[in-house]
Amino acid sequence: MDERQELVNVKAVCRRFSLDDGQVRHVGHSFVNALDHISLRIAPREFLAISGPSGSGKSTLLNLIGCIDKPSEGSIHVDGVDTSTLQPAAMSALRRERIGFVFQTFNLIPVFTAEENVEYPLLIQKIGARERRRRVAEALDGVGLSARAHSRPDLLSGGERQRVAVARAIVHRPALVLADEPTANLDTKNATQLIALMRDLNLRLGLTFIFSTHDARLLEHTPRIVRLCDGQIESDTHPEGGSNG
Amino acid sequence: MGKFLLLAFRNVFRNRRRTLMTLLMVGGGVAGLLLVGGFFAFMFRGLRESTINNGLGHLQIFTAEHFNRDEVRVLDTGIDNWRQVAATVKTGGHVRGVAPRIEFYGMLSNGVKSSVFMGSAVDPEAETSLGFSTRLANGRNLSSKPGDEVEALIGAGVARSMNVKVGDGLTLLAVTSDGALNGIDIQVVGIVRTGIKEMDDRYLRITLPSAQRLLQSDRVTNLVVGLDNTENTDMVAAELAPQLSGLPQKMVLKKWIDLAAYYNQVHTLFSAIFIFLGVIVFFMVLMSSVNTLLMAMFERTREIGTMLAMGTPRIWIVALFMVEATLTGILGAIVGVVGGNLLGALLNASDLHMPPPPGGTVDLPFRVLHQPSLMIGASILVVVSLALASILPAIRASRLEIAEALAHV
Repeated sequence: MDERQELVNVKAVCRRFSLDDGQVRHVGHSFVNALDHISLRIAPREFLAISGPSGSGKSTLLNLIGCIDKPSEGSIHVDGVDTSTLQPAAMSALRRERIGFVFQTFNLIPVFTAEENVEYPLLIQKIGARERRRRVAEALDGVGLSARAHSRPDLLSGGERQRVAVARAIVHRPALVLADEPTANLDTKNATQLIALMRDLNLRLGLTFIFSTHDARLLEHTPRIVRLCDGQIESDTHPEGGSNG
Repeated sequence: MGKFLLLAFRNVFRNRRRTLMTLLMVGGGVAGLLLVGGFFAFMFRGLRESTINNGLGHLQIFTAEHFNRDEVRVLDTGIDNWRQVAATVKTGGHVRGVAPRIEFYGMLSNGVKSSVFMGSAVDPEAETSLGFSTRLANGRNLSSKPGDEVEALIGAGVARSMNVKVGDGLTLLAVTSDGALNGIDIQVVGIVRTGIKEMDDRYLRITLPSAQRLLQSDRVTNLVVGLDNTENTDMVAAELAPQLSGLPQKMVLKKWIDLAAYYNQVHTLFSAIFIFLGVIVFFMVLMSSVNTLLMAMFERTREIGTMLAMGTPRIWIVALFMVEATLTGILGAIVGVVGGNLLGALLNASDLHMPPPPGGTVDLPFRVLHQPSLMIGASILVVVSLALASILPAIRASRLEIAEALAHV
């Protein structure tokens, strides 16, 4: 893959977690390797699943790509920026402007309506009210929830909540949408619909989606699947065009 | 900004029971301060008015030399043309009247025993017209048109030590303006109990002409000015000052507050007690709010992690918690002001009385004044307290590790 075409470039990344006092120690194995020298390149407009059993390092990898954690070794470039050298404020700005997040437990702000939740990423970017209204309406329409715009999260079903979360993740037109186990709290029907929605947004809007899952049924229509096991890439499969793994 | 405030406002009410408890605690603190402060204000007002009506007046005029006077020949530094000064003062607005006085010292004798007195000579008519009262334990007040006898009121302590009663005679001795010792016979027409033993042991009051005859001078030591309302004191003093400066004798105008030593002592003492109560309320609100806000922060760990993950600046998280706490403080202050005033009105309507103060014999009425300045002060106190209480939870929230916060259950 040409580096100029890369959206994400993970270079020999390790992430170690201490088992005791938070300090990483290399002697005596008082740490665990969540990720072990992982390298991965992701192009714009890709729709990529990170798969693997629990504890394989899926969430850790997404956290590192999403700039909410820093690697113990190696480097990660997102949209041409070396995130390992960024100061916290710059990391925050990168997340705010270039990355959208979808979480396993939806993580909507409970006191905001669906519309206000979707509006939030635009608020923190200080985008004007008129433009916010337009983009929020567009995003909610895109996920088919215009009719529930004024409902609070506790009045929405699990599937609806996660669609609101997707609308929130795409409303500021990020370069990259990261979804950590987005279907884990959904039934099969809603899970399939959500993946279909994400794929539709990927194709229609050209958004890059990276999501983690360990549900094999959801991977059937995923063009690229990266399988992790014990913090290492077991395979990097393109079901439609071969394997990199 | 509007949405941010909306978020803070809604967060205040997301745990209604806890918010209710916080509002009750904050409101209780404010209401307590309003009730105590309102009662103190009522006491201060009562003490102020009784101090003024007991003869201090709202304003007093002295010559500038009065404060460096020889305490034996007091009229050496007295006001010369006091009738003209009094007439000038009376033309001013809000002035009800002017009462001339001579404050003097001397000896009392019953022929067997002598005693020092602190005397004041008054114009009974002027005193009465200004509503100045004397606390008579026995007898009657000085007559404005006495006969040949020199009438006198003496303190209860004087009467006891001199072994005299109403109707008995005594001899007054004092130094005249010329430095000679002069004496007059007086008849006790009333015995006064001021409430202060030291005063009662030295108290003597005669009419102004009697004192001028004794001291052989037409001067007075001071003019006491009574106003229609105590609140007008500063305004009238400011108006009178230039008029007095044009007189041949250099005059000094003193407000009642400058002369009311006892009032000032009581005010200082009770103000200190009130400040102490305010400090207790401040720390009570502060400490319990820190705990409540830390609990709120802990419960919202994942939500804060989500906001930080989405790129919310950490300072926004600090601001969010501080705004929420400030809003809680404002709401608590409103609860306290409304509750405190309602409770105060209820207590006022119930006509409660406090036991008499030490040395007193009359129950004190329990009244709470509704003081706008106190409401504002107590409200600011709790709002600031809550805002300060939020700093620690707000900083902790803003420093959360995002990945850990998102994994928080």
